[in-house]
Amino acid sequence: MTATAEPEVGKARLRKEDARLITGRTRWTDNITLPGMLHLAVLRSPMAHARIVSIDTSAARDMPGVVAVLTATDLDPDGEIGMPCAWPITPDMRHPRRPVLAATEVNFAGEGVAVVAARSAAEAEDALEHIEVEYEDLPVVLDMEAALAEGAPLVHEDLGTNRSALWVFDSGEAGTGGDVEQAISDAEVKLTRRFRQQRLIPAFMEPRSTVVDPTGPQLTVWSSTQIPHILRVMTAMTLGVPEHKLRVVAPDVGGGFGGKIAVLPEEMMAALVARKLGKPVKWTESRSDAMLTAHHGRDQIQDITISATRDGMVTGLKVDLLADMGAYLGLVGPGVPLLGAFMFNAIYKIPAYRFACTNVFTNKTLTDAYRGAGRPEATFAIERMMDELAAELGMDPLELREKNWIRHDEFPFTTVAGLTYDSGNYEAATERAKQLFDYDGLRREQQARRASNDPVQLGIGISTYTEMCGLAPSRVLGSLAYGAGGWESASIRMLPTGKVEVVTGSSAHGQGHETAWSQIVADQLGVPFEDIEVLHGDTQFSPKGMDTYGSRSLAVGGTALVLAARRVLDKAKPVAAHMLECSVDDMEFTGGKFTVQGTDQSVGIQDVALAVFAAHDLPDGYEASLDSDATFDPENFSYPHGTHLCATEVDTETGRVSIRSYVCVDDVGKVVNPLIVEGQIHGGLAQGIAQALYEEAVHDESGTLTTGTFADYYLPSAADMPTFVTDRTETPSTTNPLGVKGVGEAGTIASTPAVVNSVIDAVRHMGVDDIEMPCSPMRVWQAIQGGAR
Amino acid sequence: MKSFAYVSARDVPTAVSAIAGSPNAKFLGGGTNLVDLMRGNIEQPDTIVDITRLPLTGVDLLPDGGVRIGALVRNSHLAAHPLIRSRYPVLSQAILLGASAQLRNMATVGGNLLQRTRCLYFYDTAAACNKRAPGSGCDAIGGFNRNHAILGVSDNCLATHPSDMCVALAMLDATVEVESTRGVRRIPMNEFHVLPGDTPHVETSLAADELVTAVELPSVAVAANSRYRKVRDRASYAFALVSVAAALEVTGTTVTQVRLALGGVSAKPWRATKAEEVLLGAPATEESFRQAAAAELAAATARPGNEFKIGLAERTIVAVLRELVTKGDAA
Ligand SMILES: Cc1cc2nc3c(=O)[nH]c(=O)nc-3n(C[C@H](O)[C@H](O)[C@H](O)COP(=O)(O)OP(=O)(O)OC[C@H]3O[C@@H](n4cnc5c(N)ncnc54)[C@H](O)[C@@H]3O)c2cc1C
Ligand code: SF4
Repeated sequence: MTATAEPEVGKARLRKEDARLITGRTRWTDNITLPGMLHLAVLRSPMAHARIVSIDTSAARDMPGVVAVLTATDLDPDGEIGMPCAWPITPDMRHPRRPVLAATEVNFAGEGVAVVAARSAAEAEDALEHIEVEYEDLPVVLDMEAALAEGAPLVHEDLGTNRSALWVFDSGEAGTGGDVEQAISDAEVKLTRRFRQQRLIPAFMEPRSTVVDPTGPQLTVWSSTQIPHILRVMTAMTLGVPEHKLRVVAPDVGGGFGGKIAVLPEEMMAALVARKLGKPVKWTESRSDAMLTAHHGRDQIQDITISATRDGMVTGLKVDLLADMGAYLGLVGPGVPLLGAFMFNAIYKIPAYRFACTNVFTNKTLTDAYRGAGRPEATFAIERMMDELAAELGMDPLELREKNWIRHDEFPFTTVAGLTYDSGNYEAATERAKQLFDYDGLRREQQARRASNDPVQLGIGISTYTEMCGLAPSRVLGSLAYGAGGWESASIRMLPTGKVEVVTGSSAHGQGHETAWSQIVADQLGVPFEDIEVLHGDTQFSPKGMDTYGSRSLAVGGTALVLAARRVLDKAKPVAAHMLECSVDDMEFTGGKFTVQGTDQSVGIQDVALAVFAAHDLPDGYEASLDSDATFDPENFSYPHGTHLCATEVDTETGRVSIRSYVCVDDVGKVVNPLIVEGQIHGGLAQGIAQALYEEAVHDESGTLTTGTFADYYLPSAADMPTFVTDRTETPSTTNPLGVKGVGEAGTIASTPAVVNSVIDAVRHMGVDDIEMPCSPMRVWQAIQGGAR
Repeated sequence: MKSFAYVSARDVPTAVSAIAGSPNAKFLGGGTNLVDLMRGNIEQPDTIVDITRLPLTGVDLLPDGGVRIGALVRNSHLAAHPLIRSRYPVLSQAILLGASAQLRNMATVGGNLLQRTRCLYFYDTAAACNKRAPGSGCDAIGGFNRNHAILGVSDNCLATHPSDMCVALAMLDATVEVESTRGVRRIPMNEFHVLPGDTPHVETSLAADELVTAVELPSVAVAANSRYRKVRDRASYAFALVSVAAALEVTGTTVTQVRLALGGVSAKPWRATKAEEVLLGAPATEESFRQAAAAELAAATARPGNEFKIGLAERTIVAVLRELVTKGDAA
């Protein structure tokens, strides 16, 4: 039997799923065509806030190919169906019902008001133009502070307020630290800043799409989603379809970035229409609809106060957030700021901390998870503040950080926010990054350019970040009132010929699970990489799962896989002993073989699989199966960290920023596949840099999204990116047997403050101490002209 | 999108007679602009005359040293053509800084000339826009007008012509050849696009039934020292905030030939004749470049959203001229 010689884990294997993904010859939801299938198109409100006076669908019904034109009255006559929110962060959180289609009032531009079912997608689209909707304008509220002001127009009149919830953490009250007000009033130095996290659009590559087939024994839903399992539970609860009568499939999914952690009104709509008409239906959105209606990310106003001693010891941190929910609450939207609540203190030993967040309704597209969700916002704020504090104190920003961070010999370390960081080595990552970057050399060049009044100034930005990954310990989620647990499942099936089928409950949508999971199983069971197939995303063969987000798949799902593999070995061992006629205690397992200790007698696991299948000669009372399941619930998060250094050149005459060099040294724990890690870092950096310099979703005063295409929404291209220098240190996580931490969000979390810090650093001597993101040439130029904010 | 009739023309007479009979017909080039506009119901032609099969795809040297470019030459082909790269580098550069590779592979010379503005209210059928719906007003005035014009604007419209290619053509004194059932006309590039005035929906001097058949470039020796610079918000796939096409000859220290055109600042590619006048015969110094730029932009009118463009245009002119001096020296 073949046994893999060198370990698979750690190999830079090309991803086995890529050939089919990049050629498009695969099961994207939109590629699915069923007999008799109808196509849906949704009529969307052009108004951000209006009463619906009337909807006339008669002309549209007469259009060629149209089978039905339906409104809220048809789909949900009693107005009972509301889109779920799984994270009621406070008992009194206000949660307005979000209907499948608006019945009486639209609350953001893009909200659906009617749906056409037609024989072709083009006919459905054409018919939309013949639906007449009469709207009566309602006052629009877009700005969070305006929304909270006395007498503001209300997004939801019946709530009597635009405030959804207030959530507070206070280290004094929680017993995890001191009283922050005291710390601030006693402080030798204190600084207050306001940062705006602009609204971003998670521009996943594959627009969303759903196919629903009502004709089989189960209602089958295919959807381009990150969360097939959660979608199944939520669809059952939302529509009252018994869960066992529902099958949800996430076929190949072309990216999500958090934008597909959602239960969509369109998914519910498709199910309702399919059931009503008794035919399969498909809904696939246009790019424009994706930009307008898929939930947006970020959109917070952060008021931050930091206090410190003159010699640079941070004594307190106070955070007041406003978080824009948009017009309704998304699936986990209210909790996104909470994912940041534990991260503002970052890698620093801060003795007193308070966090308060007010979630606000406005007449805009809803916001929800977007790559990093809460953690990039927190990291940005603290890393910007550390730079500002360093400037205030006249210290080198790296030195200030070093003074305050947790030293490697202090782990495990319980933070002021109550988390216990299991491991880390900030010194090592920073030292390596400084070398690669030539920190001292660049500082010298910066001085020279300042001295010579060079029109192009150089700035150095730092971000020493950490993040909580591996979401999440179920008990922690419970304490935060999240609606579900954070475990993950895995099953391993040993097939008669020795091949292996692996089923994971996490749901890949571009991450490369099939490759990484195969590498893990290959090592655990000692079978060849090629003999392993990884399956995911279909509730029929993978009934249990918590899906993919929060850099959790490997730390949680990968661990479940290891546990399942160990069980397979436990089950195989007695059979192997029986086959070799020796005692179980004399068996050794290495390289895919059970060997009688001290002999050359052995049997391979793949042969054991055949013997178990045949079941002719098994130990007495042996249950004839090697198949094993495992569910893993982590006891703690994992905490990737790293040091990112960015040098930018700022043309002070035009405000143009160009990244001269970017070095990151990340510690993501053990690496299963360096190629995948590298890819995640590169993509993450691009996305984080995009927030710093390019992207912003803008609404005009009537609430129309003015950045609704890629021509207006500045998603950067490869031409805008620098060459990244990446490296790693490896401090294994101690909270899972693989020692892994997660890498899906690191780049996004770390890079935004590194870039903005470098821009400010370049022009600080010109009197600039903040520039609102994105740091576009215009903003940078204006800041320089203004000499201050 | 409204349904429409489709006609495919194989020769020019068929194309022009097909359009002559139907006032609401449109020619289809690469479709990269027209199809988008039709999808959004901004353009609603009842007939599409597909001209992509017309034999107007040559790039040929003329006896007088100029070059004739067929209206259906694709943008990427034109930019890569050896005649253009060697004699009119500014045109290659301008094209390559526009759109994306995929779009340039589709886009034609004729379509590029006639592409419509990127004003966002023009695209939003719920907004007031004199260009799309004459007399309805202009939401860009007082709205989001960061990308809008500062030269030749009217109270009815602030839109810019978004083309990069056309800026180079204007600088090169190109001529546009057009044909209808009434015959052939030649329109100087500078008269091809028109300012908005009271009729912002009228964008060119082309009649509705005229087909662009070719663009001719005269022989321009100074074009060998030419440069296109585009300032925009992202390094690809973005329209110009300001762009400058320039060619310069300096003899000794005196400017002996100069051509200058601006993009992103007006409803037409803006030939900067005032700046040229200041520069011609002046010393090739930073000082004269600045004076020339200021002279050109003296007539600029900006709104609070786009006033930055005046300074940006001035500085970009100076920067490009400065570069051409250095480059000319090296050559
Ligand atoms: C996302 C995006 C980004 C872009 N970025 C840039 C940019 O940065 N810079 C830039 O310059 N351009 C840019 N463009 C515009 C692009 O250059 C134009 O869409 C393209 O040049 C139009 O050419 P076409 O052949 O596809 O025209 P079509 O879409 O086929 O036609 C456009 C118009 O011209 C008419 N027409 C076409 N050919 C003729 C003819 N021979 N005679 C008479 N009328 C004719 C059509 O009837 C139609 O009204 C961008 C476009 C897109 C979609
Ligand atoms: S600037 Fe011109 S195109 Fe834009 S809204 Fe005004 S009239 Fe329309």
